[in-house]
Amino acid sequence: MGGQGDRSDISLEWIKGQLSGFADLEYRTLQTSDDETELLYVKSVTDGQAIGRAIIAPYYEMDNSEAYYRYLACSPGSHTEVDRKQALELVLAGGVCVQKDGRLIICEVPKAQSAGVRETITESVSQGPSDALSEDLEVNMNLIRRRYQSAQLKMETAVIGNVSRTKTAILYDESRVDHKVLAELKDRLDALQLDILQAAGELEKYLCGDKIRIFPKTIVTERPDRVVFNLAEGKVVIMLDTTGYAVILPVIFNDFFTAMDDKIHLPIAGRFLKLLRIIGVIMTLWLPALYVAFTSYNPEIVRVQIALLIAGSRATVPYPSFVEVLIMLLMMEFLTEASLRLPKAIGPTATTVGGLILGQAATEAGLVGNIMIILVSAVAISNFMIPLNMMSFSIRVLKYFFILASATAGLVGVVCCLVGFTMYLCSQRSFGQPYFKLFVLDSLGTDNRKRGGSK
Amino acid sequence: MTQNRYYIWLILMNSLINIIIFVPRELIDGRFTGTQAAIPLAVLSGTLITFMFTAVIRKFPGKGVPEIFAASLPKFTVPPLLVIFGLLWCTAGLITLLSFVDITLRFISPDTRPLIVLLSFLVVVCFSVRMEPLSLLYGLEMMLAISLPLIVYATFKAVVNPAFSWDAVLQTFTYSLHTPNWNSFLAATFSFSGYINMAIFNRLFHQLKLKPLHIVIVAVQGFIILLLSFLVPIGYFGTIGVGKHIYTWFSTADSIRIETFLIERMLFIFYMAYLPLSLVSVVIHWHVGKELLLALFPVPKKRKSSSVRLWQEGFILAAFCAAAFSLMHLDQYELNQFGVIFLDVRWYGEVALLLLLLYCYAVKRRRAL
Repeated sequence: MGGQGDRSDISLEWIKGQLSGFADLEYRTLQTSDDETELLYVKSVTDGQAIGRAIIAPYYEMDNSEAYYRYLACSPGSHTEVDRKQALELVLAGGVCVQKDGRLIICEVPKAQSAGVRETITESVSQGPSDALSEDLEVNMNLIRRRYQSAQLKMETAVIGNVSRTKTAILYDESRVDHKVLAELKDRLDALQLDILQAAGELEKYLCGDKIRIFPKTIVTERPDRVVFNLAEGKVVIMLDTTGYAVILPVIFNDFFTAMDDKIHLPIAGRFLKLLRIIGVIMTLWLPALYVAFTSYNPEIVRVQIALLIAGSRATVPYPSFVEVLIMLLMMEFLTEASLRLPKAIGPTATTVGGLILGQAATEAGLVGNIMIILVSAVAISNFMIPLNMMSFSIRVLKYFFILASATAGLVGVVCCLVGFTMYLCSQRSFGQPYFKLFVLDSLGTDNRKRGGSK
Repeated sequence: MTQNRYYIWLILMNSLINIIIFVPRELIDGRFTGTQAAIPLAVLSGTLITFMFTAVIRKFPGKGVPEIFAASLPKFTVPPLLVIFGLLWCTAGLITLLSFVDITLRFISPDTRPLIVLLSFLVVVCFSVRMEPLSLLYGLEMMLAISLPLIVYATFKAVVNPAFSWDAVLQTFTYSLHTPNWNSFLAATFSFSGYINMAIFNRLFHQLKLKPLHIVIVAVQGFIILLLSFLVPIGYFGTIGVGKHIYTWFSTADSIRIETFLIERMLFIFYMAYLPLSLVSVVIHWHVGKELLLALFPVPKKRKSSSVRLWQEGFILAAFCAAAFSLMHLDQYELNQFGVIFLDVRWYGEVALLLLLLYCYAVKRRRAL
């Protein structure tokens, strides 16, 4: 339906009828001695001051009603020829209906409730820009266009969600993007059928299809500089209105271990930091599993002194090592999770109670070994070295698989688990692109100065 | 387009796992009866076969052996050939797997039950075998990146060790003029047979180009690895004592001590380097075997294709696993014999495959004319 036939009978009264029951619906009549104009808008999504300035004041300043009509039709964001569906959408999105002599104009005067540009919260860097993406699409576009001043930066819009009608922008650099990826993304976006879309992470869940997956296949970021960096690398960025986060795709595994200030540092320092992160991941994955393997299966692998030390610290512990590891790790997860939810003022208390008292008391009571406490703290700290939250959570879950493997088959299990996960990673694709392989070897011969910089 | 480096990785993988699959054992058995002369011969013939096989299969870009056979050979000969070759690849994986289970039980965790060790290997292998071939190549590259530095480190440590007896090594060279030993020759050519996996992986290579440099790399790496795997154990155990070990290299690694690290015995580093590599090699061999056997089944119609294929693959893998379980009871001696027989049969199989492909190419040429 819709289209030409509706236009004749679309009127302010019809829209008003459709929006009955809206407490914030405003209907006004502007009157001069010889002339009358009707206004209709939804107060909560329109900017009252702007309406006064741009629509009401000119009406009284201009005597000529025909000139006023033309003024409205020419002002930015106004629509004269709309059908019923569009008209309703426009009004709901912050449009003002002006009806004069039976002619209808809808002017967009949207009000966006957003707090301007914030500082980054989840991805902080030591030096470098600290602007975060805001919850308003226009502001975000401004943040990005300012950093990426190229005519090649294309933007396409779409609306996702039958109810939430979330405005979505797809950004890419036309000269660098892989068009296959773009086409696949559009296919998947078209196939999307959902009512509500409220977060960027949600979108990545719907886009990636397969149900059981443990590694994120898109980056969800709040940093405009990361967005710009990735645009320059030829990736596609999806931005949602009202979320404050952008989705970057396709990604490779290594991207999750790149912080934005790596490039700010001197080359060697940057490499060192990246190496630290990789060591951190290896530690958080392996330490608990190796502890189980070394205490319960293969104590002869490590030096005698270390083996004795561990055995000594476990002398009072009344259960097998993997129970000990699980108890302490769970404790640590509780602490992490609790301190995330706690109000900021109580946060430090939780850490003190948990870290100092629990740890100290547990060892003294003989429930866990001393070395276990050190190990758990190392695991907890190194886990948070991953710059992107999504991956950090994946790794957090992943270490339990390793513990399970080492509890069943000792060191052999750990190595098998490593092989299994490496193969799994290699089999993954992010929008048709390989997710994990030795990318270093691919770029050995090529010059990457033109791109965003070294990875 | 798959890059040519993956081709080199396939060869390097086979070269490196020779120490699992009883090659050093065979070489050392012939240390007084002509291994020294057999090694250069094997390098020559191995490089030649590699070169010829690659040159032939290049003429069939993007095609695997089943497709090539189906196109050029008489219908009734194809299934038996595929079964024979499929079983050969299955056996290659089996021997690696079984001897690694044995190594694990003997050197790493004697308390663990053999069944659990085998099961944990099989889970990883079966899970990976079904992946796309390209992913397998990525995985192989990754595993090499993990293992190779460790193996190089272990070998370096082994050679510079003051306890390494160069006299024993030099002593073996006094037997160099002995006529080449056929068994040693067959075993030594295993180092070069990585190219044979191209039988299936050729599906990914559309423009494989073998430069002279590649040939040199293949020859040199094979030569160095063969020499090392033959001589290093002799340097540790002496010319006579070396005959008493089954897994010569693991015994060698167990004789090396690292003074300045958390882990004191080189054995564990060596083991951890070789476990991923052997698992990946089993995965690759079984993948090739699976694909060859899969060609026997009719291609399912489009609608339910994925689930039917899944059943077919599952059936083949179940058969492979059943073979692994049933051969688990073999003791060390029998396993060794089994390995030696395989090493011999494999070489004839390779030559047969090469001849068959040459024939197919001839048929293709004749048709094109």
